[in-house]
Amino acid sequence: MAERIRYKNIDEIPDVALSTGTTRVLKTGSWRNVKPVIENKAAPCLKACPLGTKIPHYFYWIIEKDLEKAADVLLERNPFPAITGRVCPAFCQIGCNRKRFDERISIRELERYVGDYIIKRGYKIKELPSDTGKRIAVIGSGPAGMAVAYFLRRYGHSVTIFERESKPGGVLRYGIPSYRLPKDILDKEFEMLLNMGIKIETNKELGKDVYLDELRQKFDAVFIGIGAWVEKRMRMEGEENLLSGVHFLKDVNEGKETSKFKGKKVAVIGAGNVAMDVVRTLKRIGAEPCILYRRTEKEMPALEEEREKAKADGIPFHFLTLPIKAENRNGKILLTNQKMKLGEPDKSGRRRPIPIEGSEFQEEYDFVIKAIGEEADRKILPEEYLGEDGWPYADKKTGATKVEGVFAGGDFIQGPSTVVEAEAWAQRAARSIDRFLKGEDINVKEIPPRTVSFMLIRTEYFDKAPAIHPQELSVEERIKSFEEEVKTFSEEMALKEAKRCFSCGYCNSCGNCYVYCPDMSILWKDGKPVVDYDFCKGCGVCASECPRGIIQMVSEI
Amino acid sequence: MAFEWEELLQEEVLDPGILSCQGCGSTIAIRQVLKALGKNTIITVPACCWTIIDGPFPYHSLKIPFFHTAFETAAAAATGIRAGLNTRGYKDTNVLAWAGDGGTFDIGLQALSGVAESNEDILYICYDNEAYMNTGIQRSGATPYKAWTTTTPYESPNKRPKKNIVEIMRAHKIPYIATATVAFPLDLYKKVKKAKELKGTRFIHVLAPCPPGWRMDSELTIKVSRLAVDTKLFPLYEVEDGEKLTINYYPKEIPIEEYFKLQGRFRHLEEEDIKEIQEMINTYFEKLLEEHKRTHGTIDNIKRGVYK
Repeated sequence: MAERIRYKNIDEIPDVALSTGTTRVLKTGSWRNVKPVIENKAAPCLKACPLGTKIPHYFYWIIEKDLEKAADVLLERNPFPAITGRVCPAFCQIGCNRKRFDERISIRELERYVGDYIIKRGYKIKELPSDTGKRIAVIGSGPAGMAVAYFLRRYGHSVTIFERESKPGGVLRYGIPSYRLPKDILDKEFEMLLNMGIKIETNKELGKDVYLDELRQKFDAVFIGIGAWVEKRMRMEGEENLLSGVHFLKDVNEGKETSKFKGKKVAVIGAGNVAMDVVRTLKRIGAEPCILYRRTEKEMPALEEEREKAKADGIPFHFLTLPIKAENRNGKILLTNQKMKLGEPDKSGRRRPIPIEGSEFQEEYDFVIKAIGEEADRKILPEEYLGEDGWPYADKKTGATKVEGVFAGGDFIQGPSTVVEAEAWAQRAARSIDRFLKGEDINVKEIPPRTVSFMLIRTEYFDKAPAIHPQELSVEERIKSFEEEVKTFSEEMALKEAKRCFSCGYCNSCGNCYVYCPDMSILWKDGKPVVDYDFCKGCGVCASECPRGIIQMVSEI
Repeated sequence: MAFEWEELLQEEVLDPGILSCQGCGSTIAIRQVLKALGKNTIITVPACCWTIIDGPFPYHSLKIPFFHTAFETAAAAATGIRAGLNTRGYKDTNVLAWAGDGGTFDIGLQALSGVAESNEDILYICYDNEAYMNTGIQRSGATPYKAWTTTTPYESPNKRPKKNIVEIMRAHKIPYIATATVAFPLDLYKKVKKAKELKGTRFIHVLAPCPPGWRMDSELTIKVSRLAVDTKLFPLYEVEDGEKLTINYYPKEIPIEEYFKLQGRFRHLEEEDIKEIQEMINTYFEKLLEEHKRTHGTIDNIKRGVYK
């Protein structure tokens, strides 16, 4: 260690000014009144992801070609990345900082790349904690139920799932068509989940084969995630002549006979994601579908991506058209439609459709399918589970119902929503259940992480590069079969795309702070920067030159 | 991505505890320079910031022999050391003269010119902070046109353009001349490496921002240094044998105003001043481009995009 030099008498002082000691004795850190703090922050993508997936973190491992580590990071927050990597609306991509530089990162495609790797190598959770001895019953094996089981298993609890159908998956299996999510991916992903020690009992329907009271007695906690499968009513004359969109999808997904639709004229009422799935599925089984929607394209609730694909598939959209009557004419359906115009915006912010008097017209179809939205089965639970509005109630933050030890979530509570939102609900509910079983308060106060805005990105350290897009089947190819439309990234594509990421808020050890420090006060230890506060004068160069907003100057007075 | 500066991840040739001001550009520069030269180096430093920065007696920061010289003699002293080393057979030892702009452009110019004229085997690096910063920001020959210093106050800013030291050195036809700045550490490192392999007088002009003297916040050192290059004010180039000129990086051609905006020493500039300076900058850069073209036959080989 450096020591101060103390001359005892004049003879010890050299004849010429000769410095022999090191300046390490001068702790210049005392000049400082602000200090740099190196701390990872939240990227906009991470913050937008309902699951809080550590996106830049696992990208780092993709770039390092260490997919094992990438998989670990991804699985920490997301139970089935191969599925969300295919069907997620990718909220993460919306706020990507890179969008303001050139193009956003294809985050979902990279998630899918790692997800497929996990399937290929087999599922391994680093280490499951030892069994806590607590048992939880999960009703429903859709995204919410499966995710809650996964997270609870990671907490060390044992889980038994009760599923109404003969196979697990819920909406993933019976709702989403296989050109978007192939069944073998689903099977493999679920097989791995079940290999974690999650038990499942199929053909067990709530209220018929299993009862809530019985489960509450047998298990330490219960989670209900049975989805929203009841088609909303349109309140039109002859509604019983219409088919249900979700049931149609379920039949197709179960592999039931579809030849009756071949070459037939089919109208689909509604313009949500289910409606898009229905028309695109109809097209693939050889029908001639069209969309009837009472508002215009701008108000469509379907995701833009789905809408554009349906349009590209060549499906006609009839806007401002509301069916008001359906009559059965010798097996065909005569639909009476009314033309609409748009009025003032309603509660949802979309302009309200107003009927135009005397604009009714009739059209004959072979089948009419309604896909105007689904809702939970509100009769399935007794009164004490219902909220003031008469619907099953669970707290948004904790997933707890009004009954102790019973939790619920997913579409069953929040209404038709996305896979990732159901998973996120499950993530919160699993934490609450874990805390409940430990006897802790289930209400956790969360401090939202600091986000790295585009202002904090030092774009001078990045070259512009166009986004990489996945390979897709052409429209001509895809409308002929149920083959998956979008392909997974190759390694080369994944590397290129991951390297485009700014890695906002996640230190990827670029080394700028180390190289630019004027005081040798950023030390490089085990591949990470560490501030040497003995000598740091607090100039702020490191904070100013960090390309991704990780270093922050904090006042010391 | 991981670490992007493999070459620069080395043991430091200087200890911390140095007495530079916050955000000092010259210390960032000397780190890279000494990493390129290695520990087998002797350094001579005339009166300049670095006589202070290196530490108070009896302490010093550099882990190599360090000679303080009189203001005008950095180059001459280095030449003497070189001759002594040669005589004793230490042919591998590098001799570096490390001087500020005062000791190079003004007071040390005679010695430097003499050394360059006889092509003595030394590496001379001038870290240019554009005034006598150490003694209280007095104007030097390197102070930019119309800039403020304590001797050229806002009412009467510097009337003469900055002396073009590279052109002066080119006239001596020495083997290697380069410009570099702290925002591009790898560029500086590579230039020193290249100079190290050559014989004769080698000269590198390093623009080293000085937060107190330039009247700016200390965290802006790198930003300003980068802007100096990207506004074409301080292009990065090399000249071999006084003739062959290579521009290393094509600037983003940002208006010079962006550079001036960050610094208090330019805050009095009027629109017409900025226009006049912009034209001076453009003319000089055009000239460099022409010379690059004369050497290489094209300007398409100049690197664009992210440069380090």
